[in-house]
Amino acid sequence: MSEELLIASGRTKRRFFTALISCLVLTGASHATAADDPAVEQLTHDGHFKQRPVWSPDGKQVVFARHEGSTIYLWLFDRSTGEERRLTERTDPEYDAVFSPSGEELLLAVDKTSPGQGDIEIYLLNLADGSMQPVAVTDGKLSHEEWPTWAPDGARFAFTSTRHDNQEIYIADRDGKNVERVTGDPALDVHPCWSPGGRTIAFATNRWGDLEIALYDVVTHNLRQFTESHGLDDYPSFSPDGRHIAFTSNRHGHFDIMIADVSSGRTVAVTNDASLDNFPTWTPDGRVGYVSNRDGGFDLYVQDVQTLP
Amino acid sequence: MLNVGQILSNHVSAQPLSRRSLLQAGSLGAVGLTLGDLLRLEASAEVSSSPAKSVILLWLWGGPSHLETFDLKPEAPVEYRGPYQPIPTNVPGIDICELLPQLARRADRYAILRSLHCESNDHGMAGTIGLTGSIDGAISLGGQTQPGSLQPTHGSIVSRLLPSGLNLPDFMAVGGHLHQGKKPIKGEGASVLGASHEPFRLDYVPGEGLRFPGLELNDGLTPSGLDARRELLSQLDNVRRQIDRSVETSQLDEYYQQAFSLLTSQASKEVFDLDREPEEVRRRYGRYRFGQCCLLARRLVETGVRFVQVNWSSHVEPVEDRGDGGWDMHDRNFQQFQDRHSWMLDQAVSALFDDLEDRGLLDETIVVALGEFGRTPKINGKAGRDHWHHCYSGLVAGGGLRVGQVIGSSDRHAEYPIHRPITPADLFATVFGQLGIGTPELTDIGLLPAGEVIEELT
Repeated sequence: MSEELLIASGRTKRRFFTALISCLVLTGASHATAADDPAVEQLTHDGHFKQRPVWSPDGKQVVFARHEGSTIYLWLFDRSTGEERRLTERTDPEYDAVFSPSGEELLLAVDKTSPGQGDIEIYLLNLADGSMQPVAVTDGKLSHEEWPTWAPDGARFAFTSTRHDNQEIYIADRDGKNVERVTGDPALDVHPCWSPGGRTIAFATNRWGDLEIALYDVVTHNLRQFTESHGLDDYPSFSPDGRHIAFTSNRHGHFDIMIADVSSGRTVAVTNDASLDNFPTWTPDGRVGYVSNRDGGFDLYVQDVQTLP
Repeated sequence: MLNVGQILSNHVSAQPLSRRSLLQAGSLGAVGLTLGDLLRLEASAEVSSSPAKSVILLWLWGGPSHLETFDLKPEAPVEYRGPYQPIPTNVPGIDICELLPQLARRADRYAILRSLHCESNDHGMAGTIGLTGSIDGAISLGGQTQPGSLQPTHGSIVSRLLPSGLNLPDFMAVGGHLHQGKKPIKGEGASVLGASHEPFRLDYVPGEGLRFPGLELNDGLTPSGLDARRELLSQLDNVRRQIDRSVETSQLDEYYQQAFSLLTSQASKEVFDLDREPEEVRRRYGRYRFGQCCLLARRLVETGVRFVQVNWSSHVEPVEDRGDGGWDMHDRNFQQFQDRHSWMLDQAVSALFDDLEDRGLLDETIVVALGEFGRTPKINGKAGRDHWHHCYSGLVAGGGLRVGQVIGSSDRHAEYPIHRPITPADLFATVFGQLGIGTPELTDIGLLPAGEVIEELT
């Protein structure tokens, strides 16, 4: 077949299919139903996969990452109106936003697409004017700086980085200066959370086998294992009073939200069912937010904590 | 148009025909058959007595880590083993990753291949190898073309040799064209087998529903303008008249007839309409692209489609793909696997196994799940794993295969096979064998077997 004829056939084929497709109405999924547990409130209903919801200090807004199509964008959810808006106008993937203690700024991790994918950096975003400044960047190599967490005074933040060829925990001033390396172990150290009292950073590590929660004393530099379970424990989040840590665990065979007493280590399950519950975080008034597929899609939920350990 | 496949299927189901007797009697011409039709007829007769009748290939594009899925090495140093532990399955002695708990409860329904390997760690070339069984004609990311003629993909071979007789394409690909970087790879199509055995592409987009990738409305041709079927048919007649001028009318005729049937018949629309599934079933598969595509694959094989390929993604990169994100996790391997890919794979494939079994289809449907290669056993400096083609894992289930076992094994770091090395060509030679496609059938259509049947599976 000549090239000209091939082109003509291709065009013809496209027109043919176009006509055929035009006569079809094939629709997709319907939205999930809301959970009927009165202690649980469903905040979003679109079902797209979401990560790391974080409440603003005044409890009026929630920031989270949503995967939709080929995009991963950060969104601000207004608790009073239920309306959402993009946090930035960037077109590359962005994750892990967290409000500063004043609520006026956020730290967030920004990614790139190929060929720079995996070169993730942390920026400080001013909510008032939308300006962004880099605060954790590694020049000259692909490295990912991510999962920032503020010190309670807002003067410093902790984050993870692969700048030294393994994922470790670091601390820096709010402007990115005076970087201090916290961990240095061949294992992976991930998902730090700074305690409200400022003394402790909780994070997940596999240095003792699978992922467990570790507690690092910022003053003494002492590190101790906090959880020890069959299964992974990850994504620690301190309660507003610092007495409890919520975290994700699969110790019961599926991803659930657990709460542990920091002093005693006693643990209770906030969720314990076959659905996938992940990315726990505390609201300022002491409830636990998380992402779950309990209603089919992945949405944000917030739940009263009936029993504390 | 005469539907040869349908007639042949009906005929062989009643009384298998002898090629010799037909040729001697000069019957072919009398009933309007060619030798090629006869070969397909025989193949149809073969498949009617073969254990398997259809295939679902779950193509995990980008290359999943074997150390995080089906070949964990908990005794390896922390620089290799990663953060996850193995858990026991329902088959004593077989462990898989703790992030795949549902698959662990169903290990009696599949076999794990732990010694797969291929010749290239380039997505494009390894993709061609995985989808055709041969590196011939593959193109690397750098644009270098391998010598030899590009071979047809597995689905096209099945489409060519085992016509179902349905008014549907026998090879459907759920998902867009496969890319590495911005470049499409080779080996997704029919090659020498001709246009009528190209995959018919469709896709499911969450929130939008079924889509046909790459097809767009022409100017002036809108859905609202085509509400009337008579107008649609008029448009199609015009297209047909143009097609009839083509020198390859016969192939295109079949192709377009399939497409017409596919897109206009009520039965076809029902096959594609996932809303006809109970909400509980849709949830069981998972309300994300791969989950719903697996459900669509079940509906297609249930209807009789011979080969359905479900592409996990079009792009190898996790963060750029429009679907669920590819498996090419050079960085953040563990975070991405734990947060998304692991449970998506676990849920959707488990649901597919259950659904096929509940409907009595698993015994006659082969399910294969693998990517083009594995990941480097030693964790790189970005908490990721790079390409590794020397050893990786895959799953195969159903179709009368011997399951509940592990075939092959790797060394202490999962770097190289130490027992029973297997190539993708071997795996698909085994799949073909279960469908009744052997060396005679392949050579009859001008192909050569690329691998050897894995006897332990049959």
